[in-house]
Amino acid sequence: MNFLGYERPDGSIGIRNLILVLSVADCSEPVARMIAEGEKNVKAVTQHYGCIPGQMVANTLIGVGENPNVAAVLLIGMGCEGMPAHALGKMIKRSGKPVEWISIQELGGTYNAVTKGKQILRDLSEKVSGLKRREFDVTELIVGVKCGGSDTSSGLAGNPAVGVFVDMLVDAGGSAIMMEPIESVGAEEPLAARAANKMVREKIYKMIGDEEKRWSVPGAQMEFMCKGNVEGGLTTIEEKSLGAVHKSGSRTIRDVLENTDHRLEKVPKGGGVYLQDGTHMEPMAMSFMAAAGAHMVIFVTGCGGTFGHAIVPFIKVTGNPETYRRMSHDMDINAGTILTGEESMESVGRRIFNEVIEVASGKLTLGERLGYDNFSVFRQDPRLEVLLGITR
Amino acid sequence: MTRALMMDDRDNVATALEGLEGGLPTTVIFPSQEIFREVTPEKGIPPGHKLAVKEIKKGDHVVKYGYIIGSATQDIGLGDHVHVHNVMSNRMHMPEVWYREED
Repeated sequence: MNFLGYERPDGSIGIRNLILVLSVADCSEPVARMIAEGEKNVKAVTQHYGCIPGQMVANTLIGVGENPNVAAVLLIGMGCEGMPAHALGKMIKRSGKPVEWISIQELGGTYNAVTKGKQILRDLSEKVSGLKRREFDVTELIVGVKCGGSDTSSGLAGNPAVGVFVDMLVDAGGSAIMMEPIESVGAEEPLAARAANKMVREKIYKMIGDEEKRWSVPGAQMEFMCKGNVEGGLTTIEEKSLGAVHKSGSRTIRDVLENTDHRLEKVPKGGGVYLQDGTHMEPMAMSFMAAAGAHMVIFVTGCGGTFGHAIVPFIKVTGNPETYRRMSHDMDINAGTILTGEESMESVGRRIFNEVIEVASGKLTLGERLGYDNFSVFRQDPRLEVLLGITR
Repeated sequence: MTRALMMDDRDNVATALEGLEGGLPTTVIFPSQEIFREVTPEKGIPPGHKLAVKEIKKGDHVVKYGYIIGSATQDIGLGDHVHVHNVMSNRMHMPEVWYREED
């Protein structure tokens, strides 16, 4: 099976042809927005951990810049950051794509920076906007799977249907990546049973165990299940997890991709299912998966979620027929037909696969049509890691 | 008749696919559509919530998808609503800020 994508200089294949205006810290974000304003296929993004945010944030921004959906990058820095624009820019440039950077202080303030930035955008756009889609094999595709706003329909219909799709994708040679460290607590057994080897098995237990530690600090009230989860019928984290991991299908888990202050591992070539360490919080998890190379994300939501991501299209699936009825202009796939008895799991999985190929080839998701372009970045607090004794 | 879905034959709970009315029987089915049994809950059960399809004693594991999802904090009779008021996680406890308003 083939899709139509854009070939990048490093041989990776993009499904969108975006220019990223990346302000390295939120102090320069307004300038980035002014530069991007009114420009087509240009996304302005930033991070909110200050200007010395640590290696985890740097890894994420570099990975997002390297993502094949991004054709070119313009980095914006104030000039005095601990993590300067040129340092990130040089790393992203190794991918061979056009990368430029500017410093607001060096250029003499807002007016000059915006004028210069707009001028660079025009040059970048000239270089990349003429690229044409060509046919590529589905083995090139990397699809992230994530759920959020879960109710019991997610575990009974939405997630298992996505799992059927993941099996189809992997059997066709493609790759899938799931990031659900907390929503795997209680589901270690079925995940570990699918590990490629003993080392991967141990990594699965460690990833989940570490996350459980971070969210069960005595005396600290942490909310890892939302009100909607419980009103929707989910009782415990174990129940939520066992339903959540269905979306990773049933095939061998090849590895757990490390995502720490040391490094962010990418999805290797060759297809298969991967778990990625990180966070369950949706928009941030999307950025991690994008940084690991995901082209798009399948998002399963029982309660209904309306958001998206700046660089990876989002296919929204709901297993709740009532949610689909109320929010059909937000939900790309109605998997509620499984619970009403109208359609089989396999049939919905096949529909998801067809939608993935179409979206990969350029069809806009409902979220893209609505203009959703969330972007946020997550980092583990290095102090907490030390205090909890979480080591690599 | 209303239906409730049981994911694995080791399970002792099923999920109501529609809202269930107290005193009316519901058919407990497997994903294959095969029927496990009929159960009549004493009180109503909201759609998406669980009911016991076997008797569960205080301290017993509550099982769904064939795996343990928590432990019963009190005896749970056949057809009873199974949720945060009578089940506790064996792993991580939820914050008390909002869920107590439930029952």
